[in-house]
Amino acid sequence: MSFEVLRDVAKPIIAGFGITARRLASEKVTIQYPEERREQFVRTRWRHVLTRYDSGLERCIGCSLCAGACPARCIYVQAAENTNEDRRSPGERYAERYEINMLRCIFCGYCQEACPTGAIVLRKDFELANYEREDFIYTKEMLLEPIRR
Amino acid sequence: MSDLIQLGAVNERPKAPRGEDLQLKFSEKAIAQLDALKAHYPEEKACILPGLWIAQREYGGTLTAEAIAEVAHRLHRSYAEVEGVATFYSMYNTAHAVGAHMIEVCTCLSCHVCGAYRVADYLKEKLGVGFGETTPDGLFTLHEVECLNACDRAPLLQVGDQYYGPVGPAEIDALLEKLRTSPPTVTQLADEIVKVHLKAEEPR
Amino acid sequence: MAAVVSTDTVKVTINGVEIEVPKGELIVESVKRLGLEIPIFCYHPRMKPVGMCRMCLVEVGFKQPDGSVRMMPKPQAGCTLPASDNMVVLTDTEAIHRDRKGVLEFLLINHPLDCPICDRGGECPLQNNTLSYGPSTSRFIEMKRHAHKAFPLSQYVTLDLERCIQCGRCVRFTEEISGDSQLAFRFRGASMQPATYQLTDFESKFSGNVIEICPVGALTNAKYRFRARPWDLETKPGICTVTPCGTNVWFDYRAGKFIRLNGRTNEEVNEEWTADRTKFGHDFYNSPNRLKAPNLRTETGFKGAGWSDVYAEILAHFEGKGSEVGVITEANLSNEDLFMLQKLFRKGFASQNIDHRLSGGWQSFEERLENKLGLNTVQTTIAELENVPASLVFATSLADEQPMTFLRLRKGWFQNGTKVISATSHPTEVDQFAHVILRYKPGTEARLAAGLAHASGAALEGLEKFNPEATEQATGVPANLIREAGEILREAGARILTTHSLLTTSEGSVACEILAGLAHKAGHKFSCLGLKANTAGAKELGLLPDTLPGGIKNSNPGKDTRQMLEDAARGKLKALWLVNCDPLTDFPDRDLAEKALENVEFLVVQHHQAIEACEYASVVLPMTLPAEQDGTFTSSERRVQRMAPVLSAPGEAKASWRIFAELLLRIQPSTPPFGPKDVMEEISREVPTFAGVNYGALDGPGVLIAQPELGEPNLNSLGGTLSKV
Repeated sequence: MSFEVLRDVAKPIIAGFGITARRLASEKVTIQYPEERREQFVRTRWRHVLTRYDSGLERCIGCSLCAGACPARCIYVQAAENTNEDRRSPGERYAERYEINMLRCIFCGYCQEACPTGAIVLRKDFELANYEREDFIYTKEMLLEPIRR
Repeated sequence: MSDLIQLGAVNERPKAPRGEDLQLKFSEKAIAQLDALKAHYPEEKACILPGLWIAQREYGGTLTAEAIAEVAHRLHRSYAEVEGVATFYSMYNTAHAVGAHMIEVCTCLSCHVCGAYRVADYLKEKLGVGFGETTPDGLFTLHEVECLNACDRAPLLQVGDQYYGPVGPAEIDALLEKLRTSPPTVTQLADEIVKVHLKAEEPR
Repeated sequence: MAAVVSTDTVKVTINGVEIEVPKGELIVESVKRLGLEIPIFCYHPRMKPVGMCRMCLVEVGFKQPDGSVRMMPKPQAGCTLPASDNMVVLTDTEAIHRDRKGVLEFLLINHPLDCPICDRGGECPLQNNTLSYGPSTSRFIEMKRHAHKAFPLSQYVTLDLERCIQCGRCVRFTEEISGDSQLAFRFRGASMQPATYQLTDFESKFSGNVIEICPVGALTNAKYRFRARPWDLETKPGICTVTPCGTNVWFDYRAGKFIRLNGRTNEEVNEEWTADRTKFGHDFYNSPNRLKAPNLRTETGFKGAGWSDVYAEILAHFEGKGSEVGVITEANLSNEDLFMLQKLFRKGFASQNIDHRLSGGWQSFEERLENKLGLNTVQTTIAELENVPASLVFATSLADEQPMTFLRLRKGWFQNGTKVISATSHPTEVDQFAHVILRYKPGTEARLAAGLAHASGAALEGLEKFNPEATEQATGVPANLIREAGEILREAGARILTTHSLLTTSEGSVACEILAGLAHKAGHKFSCLGLKANTAGAKELGLLPDTLPGGIKNSNPGKDTRQMLEDAARGKLKALWLVNCDPLTDFPDRDLAEKALENVEFLVVQHHQAIEACEYASVVLPMTLPAEQDGTFTSSERRVQRMAPVLSAPGEAKASWRIFAELLLRIQPSTPPFGPKDVMEEISREVPTFAGVNYGALDGPGVLIAQPELGEPNLNSLGGTLSKV
């Protein structure tokens, strides 16, 4: 009886711990997430960013092509006209309002593909959790890249 | 033209003058000539070209906006239509005020080979203006033109309806001296063309 | 202008398929019969072809007697090529594909390709044709032509010269359709530009159309500038409720907000054109002053209230008061609204004080014309103006008051040589193409009309003394011109057009009667057209103190607008209801209007936005606008057309017919109409001229309502009217 117990119960346990013991020496796969972060793949598509030219002007010209390409219809663009006193982007037109509903977005990247100026890009920030549904509507101020100094 | 338009702002363009507000400047003779032309054609539209020649004569060689408006008013056409015709043809002087004499230098192949640009440069230096410009005293306007169809006399100048060629510095000096004292050739040319039109309109 | 010049047909072989087409039809139209398409830019079916863009090149040959086909050495422009016998057309060959690529490459050389910011992007023929037929790349690497962007040609039209492909559609439109010739090509070659004289204001009354026919984004809508892209927009058909013509339009809206209007094709009414009043005159949909909830006046000021409270308050002041209450409305409500309004007042409140005329009393004229003289007030339609020998435009600025009638009249002159007589006291657009211009002294309309009747040989009793010389003396119109106009009017079949604006003076009403009599005697047709979207409907549906629905004379007439306001000012009218109108701004006598609104005990203001009269109101009711509710409108030519709901109503605003129906229900419990469709059924049952009008019949070009049954025309009393002047 005790032999059976040793063979059927203790041996697999010992074998199991053996694996653990062997792995102790090798590199760990798990990372300590909030403190440590894994590097993202090159083509990862997460949170949208509206980029700027080096001069600080917005790339977005409010053409609404992203909204037209979006299969989830989650982008709303409202354009307005640049003036010489208040110039946001090169050319005549800029986006006055630019909103993305992140709850609807499927991160397909079509908006990035459609953008004629390369204004909207999907970058690697994936931490999009929030508490209120309203907070998932990202406005232009949230999406726009800060001016680099 | 103004800058970019502003969203929502009212963009007030100047209004075209109304017929009754025009300052009509045609002389008795010009009105009589225009009436003679009108009588010949079934439509007044046909008189736009000769009418513009009359206006060019009456307004001293240049078709100003007022001159165009007057022709349009007298022929009951829209201003824009007559302006479109006037700005199409290069012999109507719409772009800027021209001098009393328009010196046109042919720079096409034969004249070029025979030194048209030397002639042109000499003229530019002598008059102190470039192509398409008028001397400050309002006497001469210099222009570059395409082939004048007198290659045997290259290099060639045209003043009014007269050809001068072949020309060199000496001939140019003499010509300019002569022109300084002669009556304006631009209006003369316009008058000659009006006469040609009127002659063609006479019943056979 | 794909005008078929004769009924002969010719056999044309297109891409190997032989078809018969009318002789002289343009090839670009013929291929449509086979469901094929030739790309075009400059060609427009309603204008003369010019062959400027070369986009429609086709290969053409002719069948020889021996059966072989001899092709022309070069491709031909399909838009200027009339079909002729034995013609062989190839639209789909390798060479044609190459030609189209070449043409597009040339067109795009100077085109800035700023599609992402261009308002035309997404609905641009140049984009579409380039995608379908064009090259994928350009070999042009040099500098493009540059011009100023976004030049404001007028407050409505923005010109971007860089984008222009010089097709000449806009220039031809102003020359051939609207007739003002305000746009023309200036300069030549690459610097050719469509522009106004000296870049002055483009003040055409039809300037909005050039925006729609521009095949690129060169002429764009300044009001729509950057407000949306075509794929953001939703669109629904509707009709214009600003002009009286019933112009068919597309309502474009985005996220429930009205954005812009475009012309919708209706061959009977507007073809595809719109007037600027229509295209740019609907801004009130987005007004910040829209009323959203009913309001009751309390001691401290206005307080929001529920509909049922408001109804109770209104009933307390209106029910059972009979002739002590009244309503003034404006004829730009739908037929259903107007019908329910008069029903509420006649059946519910037992009051006959109903009027839809704020600025003039033309009822007496219409009533006289129809009942005493036995003549209809509107005898013409818009579409028939295209094919008449002559037209007389009398005392109206037709392009302002009746834009679509004006365009059709001009088309008749331009294509079929209608002889137009323009009789106005001031210069109008009609003068431009008028055969005879009669410029009379203001206030002499009736005497001129009498002179015309005399000169045209239509013997009207009592008008014999108005020979041309006497008329010249009275009106200042040269006698020879009157004779000339009379000669034109001798031939039967002319159309005599005037509008209600003539009826503001008694002289004008007499002129109208004489013209109607002249038309009847000489075999012409006469129309005195309304000025509001539903004037004709308001008349038919009895929105008048002395007429019941169907034009039946009211034996117990109520008060008209002026009497009501006077009574209100004296405190004799206890309660007044203003529906969609503001007497303070629209009634000619502002002092009286102010006094009336101050002194009336109970004032209901029902409007779509906060107007001045709200200051005096006891109750303010929010109502919907035509595009926010279902309904029909009767245009000035008596055409009933449907305006289906496009937008949602703001806040608690209700359709007017529903407000009236709900009140009526509280007075007389009966089955209420559940929708405007039910109201229309009731109208067609009760109003004889509307018989046969139902929502099922209103798809398509709309329904012309019947003329009221009148007795035998009797012109005996006509001559006497003139002595009253």
